[in-house]
Formats: sequence, structure tokens, C-alpha cells
Amino acid sequence: MQKDPNRVPGEPMTLNFGPQHPATHGTLRIVVELDGETVVKATPHLGYLHTGFEKLGEHHDYNQYIVVTDRMNYLSPLSNNFGYVLAVEKLLDIQVPERCEYVRVILAELSRIADHMVWLGMGALDLGAFTVMLYGFEEREKLYSIFEKTTGARLTTSYTRVGGLLRDIYDGFEEDVRMFLSTFPKTLKEVHTLLTRNRIWMDRTKDVGVVSAEDAIDYGFTGPCLRASGVDWDLRKAEPYSYYEKFDFDVPVGANGDVYDRYLVRMEEMIQSGRIIQQALDNLPDGPVNVDDYKISLPTKEDAYGNIEGLIHHFKIIMDGHGVQPPAGEVYCATESPNGELGFYIVSDGSGKAYRIRIRPPSFIHFQALPHMIEGGMVADIVAVLGSLNIIAGELDR
Amino acid sequence: MSEGQEVTAEEQQPLVVQKVQEQYPDAILDVSDARGELTITVRKEGIYELMAFLKSDSELAYNFLADVTAVDYSLMEDVLMKHDYARFTVVYHLLSTERKERLRVKVPVHEKELSIPSMASIWKVANWLERETYDMFGITFDAHPDLRRILMPDDYEGYPLRKDYPLRGRGERETFNFEEQNV
Amino acid sequence: MGLESQLGDNIFTTTIDKFVNWGRKNSLWPMPFGTACCAIEMMATLASKFDLSRFGAEAIRFSPRQSDLLIVSGRISIKMMPVLKKIYDQMPDPKWVISMGACASTGGVFDTYTLVQGVDGFIPVDIYLPGCPPRPEDLIDAVIQIQHIVEQESVSPKRQSGAIAS
Ligand code: SF4
Repeated sequence: MQKDPNRVPGEPMTLNFGPQHPATHGTLRIVVELDGETVVKATPHLGYLHTGFEKLGEHHDYNQYIVVTDRMNYLSPLSNNFGYVLAVEKLLDIQVPERCEYVRVILAELSRIADHMVWLGMGALDLGAFTVMLYGFEEREKLYSIFEKTTGARLTTSYTRVGGLLRDIYDGFEEDVRMFLSTFPKTLKEVHTLLTRNRIWMDRTKDVGVVSAEDAIDYGFTGPCLRASGVDWDLRKAEPYSYYEKFDFDVPVGANGDVYDRYLVRMEEMIQSGRIIQQALDNLPDGPVNVDDYKISLPTKEDAYGNIEGLIHHFKIIMDGHGVQPPAGEVYCATESPNGELGFYIVSDGSGKAYRIRIRPPSFIHFQALPHMIEGGMVADIVAVLGSLNIIAGELDR
Repeated sequence: MSEGQEVTAEEQQPLVVQKVQEQYPDAILDVSDARGELTITVRKEGIYELMAFLKSDSELAYNFLADVTAVDYSLMEDVLMKHDYARFTVVYHLLSTERKERLRVKVPVHEKELSIPSMASIWKVANWLERETYDMFGITFDAHPDLRRILMPDDYEGYPLRKDYPLRGRGERETFNFEEQNV
Repeated sequence: MGLESQLGDNIFTTTIDKFVNWGRKNSLWPMPFGTACCAIEMMATLASKFDLSRFGAEAIRFSPRQSDLLIVSGRISIKMMPVLKKIYDQMPDPKWVISMGACASTGGVFDTYTLVQGVDGFIPVDIYLPGCPPRPEDLIDAVIQIQHIVEQESVSPKRQSGAIAS
């Protein structure tokens, strides 16, 4: 921080920001030391939403835990479901049917759009652009109704299962999604006209919270935040999973690593997600969505009620101490969630419950760099930077 | 862990194992390559230098530390036996963005001397990840810049992710300190 | 009644209680204490599709000193509970509390070492709203229920029935 030699030094002031503050989107707390309007030092405090997710993983069986993953990053629960079951499937060493992968990809990308929409709305709201929030939530409601029709719940979806899905998509899913795809770019365009070249927006976001490419890697940034700093790194391209290598899409990369770039990267990502969904819908294969293995997938209703084998298999999967039992071993599986690398590290001892589940949360790691980004800046920038990182408290504290 | 095939023949060894063996001949305790994930188990002594080497070596270039965590193996007898009854294992997940390769480094830690050098000066991201590991397991990180509890309240007792800690806690839910400082 | 017919069309008579309650119930100022997933649904309730302002409760105030309806939405950990209590204490009387979602009411699916199993152990709750998360319609319904409760209140201390001691 540059000290102005002519400035009469005043008393430094300590400001407590949070844990209940409108701009914290949940429960974070930052204690900032101010010299006038300038932030001298910032100390984040967290843990206000610590829920014990990792401990719970040791007490739930593999399918039960899907429910818990919903509640982690509640802006995009489907991405969490997806990442988690991928890890378990890697542990089991099974390959789910093609149709299942496609549906998962479509839903994960839809939830990326939903996540970015809320991020956009709330981030803009924090900087005073109220209209954009209503735009974002409008689109999100459309997505919610698709999710609800598919999974049965608006937010806590729990849609994936180890080795497949809860059920196949409904008739008319394709039309609904295509309908959405045809309208949402219009909203994005409107948002672009509202914000992208808006003087106030640019003044408040350009050159604010800058992170260089080296720092971004050093701080473990992933996802849009890393790409905004100019690093071309996307797990969907670098370590393709679930047929992502088959889809043609671009990875937007920023240049300055400031709030404005993070905004642009996310805006472009939504368009690219739209492209992926389009391709996945065009090539959606037919067939089952669950693996054909009675030790992993539940039998159909007809089987469970109609014949004794079906009933026994159903019983075995549901009963405590049976169920899905991966071989002993460990696995780390990372997926590109809307916020960045969401990793699940699972240690199995061969029983029906995980021995240890560790979640690598992108928000936790991004939040760590906050002092680096705001120290030396103005107090008003804290809100802009915090918004641009998209910190989800559920994922931050777990 | 003795899963997958132990790599024995010298020429089959992955590059990182070769290089580490060259540089630090008796650091590696075990190598496994299960499910396409390369794991090396190494000695605690000299771990800091080893990690610095993994990052700075131009051929390896593990520039990205994805995760730091620990596992309490006290209920897994076979693993315990293998590592001389070291109760905890600190697990690092490294990634090289250039080579697009991941590496898992596991370091057994005995309960008697529950500490390990901090990597915060190599990767900045290690700072909070290590704090969380300390908070949850009680493993101290030597030379850590700011080792405090991070998720649990400061006056919390016990380490929740240890295997002997009950899921519902030891009554902290009823008796927690209500007078939180400077809220 | 007789009086009203004398006064003409433009003047109504009523009791002070009714008048004050009518004003209060149609201008609830919520203090959203949103911590987790439920907060997202609370935000959805405020946004355009569901629009809580139809029920006069859209004036969100993030300062407890300006609000009279506390909506606890989300998981409350033992680290958070003192904060919540403090916020409740800062709210001026009369005040009402909605405990939104399974977590705030009972701990929900998280019976773990760090979560408070129901905020009603620490602050009085008027409406328990079930669901995980409750739908926006549910939250609107809860606000209407609160309005019914408000109608029963009285400004006179003597007639206050079942009011929360504070
Ligand atoms: S009740 Fe359900 S949706 Fe609400 S905070 Fe708890 S887990 Fe989240």
C-alpha cells in the first residue's frame, strides 16, 4: 500500500463485516482494519455454517450421502451430486450407460447456468444494480421448473444415484430445455447492455481485486476465477470426464484477473454451457440410465413387487450393512463445478460406508485469497471482490 | 495401501518416482498406481524438501496443490500395520497443470509426535488447508504462519474428524460458550 | 355504528387495537437471517415470480433495529447461535420469528456435533415452517400466518395475551 506522505495519520479503525451482512450471502465474517477508506489488513473468520459434512460421510452409506451433497453448494446441487457419484463410480470401477452420462452433463451444465445467474444477480445487487437480480432470478425460476419436473425438487435435487440416475428424464424434457436455450441468451444480451459498458459498473469492477496468473495458481484458484486471471485451465478439457471430450465448446479466458474479467468469463461460460447442452440434446442416445448390476442399481418397481429376485435385490441394496460396497482403496475425483474444482477424496475400507470422505471445496480456497485481493484497496471494493468470488457458505464451511 | 499392482521393475517406474528416488534415495516407503492415480507414501523426515523439489523441478512441475487433508487410520488395522502403527496419514494432492498429471503424496504421522512441516511457504493455498487439518485432527504444522482453529469456535475441545470422536459430539451442542467475543 | 351514520361516508370508527394491528400486519419488515440453502428459497420468494411484496413484507431490512419479523432460514451452528441471539435481542418489540426449514427448527438431516438442534431452545419461535427447503409458497403462507398472529395482539399491556416475554 502506498502511503501518502502529506496525509495526517488518523486512528486506524477496525470494522467488523458480517457474519450477518447483506453482502456476505450467507455467513462469513471479515474483520478489516481501515486507514480512512483504505483497507490495511483483513482477517476472514469462517466456520459459522460448519455442519460436519465430512463426518457425516462416515456414517451414511454411499447412496444416502447424495442427499448431503445437495446441501453443500446449494446454488448448483446437481453439479455436486454429479461430482460425488463420479467419485464413487471410480472407486467401484464401473461405467454408467451413455444416456446417463449425457443426461448428467445436460443437468450439470444447466445448473452451471443457474449458478452463474444467481451469482450475476447477487453480485450486481451488491453493487447497486437491482434490476439485474430480477433478471437473473427470472431465468433461474425457469430452470427450477425444469429441475423440479426432472428430479421432484426445486433445490435439493438428489437426482443422481451411484451407477445411474433416480429416474429417466420426463417426456418433454427436450422441448423444455430447448425452449430455455432459445430464450436465455436474450436475457444475457440485456444484461450485457445493462452492465458491460456501464460507466458505474466498469468503474467499480475494473482493476479491482486483481490476481495475477502466478498468484492464482499459488492460491489454488480454479474455475472461472483462475481463468479470469489468464490461465487456460478447465477440467472438462484438461481431464475430460463423462464424454466432455465429445463436445465442442470454448473456454473463455480473461486477461487482467480483476472483478470485471471474472464477470465476463462467467457470462461467456453460460453461452458455452448452452452450446454443450445443445450438442448433448442433439446426440442424446437411447437406452437405460442405470447400470445393469443388481448389486449397484435398484431393480425396477415391477421387479421389486413382481418377483422374488427383484425383492431380494431391492432389500439388499436398501438394508444397512449391504448396499453398495466398493472394494477397499481410495480415490480422488475432481470435476469442474460452476465455482471451480470440486474434488471428492474417498477412502473405502470395503464396507457399505465410506471410511473417510474429504471434499475439496473451491469456495474455501478462493476465500483464502480475499485479504490478498482487498488489502490496499478501498472499503467499498470488498463487496465487489466478495461478490466476484461467489463464495457459497455451505461449501465454504461444510 | 496395497491395492493395485506394486510397481517393481525399475524401468516401469513413473518419472516422478525415478526422480525422487534419485534425489532422496530412502524417502519413498511405498508406490501404488490404483485406478490410474499415482500414490507415493513417503517418510516424514525431509518431507518439506521433497515437496519443494516436486514443485521446483522443471520436469515434474507440480505447481498446483489441490488439497491437503488427513485420514485417521485407527480403525483400519491393515493400513496401520503397514505403516508401523502411525495413526494419522497426511494426504497431499498435487497437480501439474503443464503435464496434466496428478500425484498423491501420503505421509504417515505417529500420534506421539503429531506434527509435520508446513507447506505454506511453498504453496500459499496450504495455509488454510493445514489450518483445517489442524482443526479437525489436531495435527500441528511446524512453522505455520497462523495455526489457529478455523471452522470450530476457538474454545472448542476435541478434534471432530478423529475416529474416536462421536458424530453427535460430546455435548458441545448444549454447553457451548454463549458469550462469543466481539460479535 | 350509530356514530358512523352520523359522520358520513368518509369516516370510519374502529378500535385502536384493530387499527394498529391492521397497519402492523400489512407492513411487516422482515430481517432475513439466511445462512444456507433455505436462504436461496427466501431470495426466490422475494424475487419477481413469487414476490413477497404482494403481502406487504418486502421491505427487507438487514438491520435488526429496523425490523419486526425475524426469518431464520438455514442451519445454525453453535458458532452462529450467539450471533442469532444477539440479533434477536436487538430487535424492538413487538417481534415475531419464523423458523424456516427443517434445519432451523430441528437440525434437519444434520444431527452432528456442530449444529444447534432447533433454534427454539434459544429464542422463541412463532411459526415453524417445515420443508427442506420449504417452497416459496410455503414461506408466503408462513407470513400470512404471522399476520393472523399479529391480528391477535393488543397495544394495551393489560390485554396482551400470550405475548412473548422479552
Ligand atoms: S432445511 Fe434443508 S434446505 Fe433448509 S437449510 Fe436445512 S438442509 Fe438446507
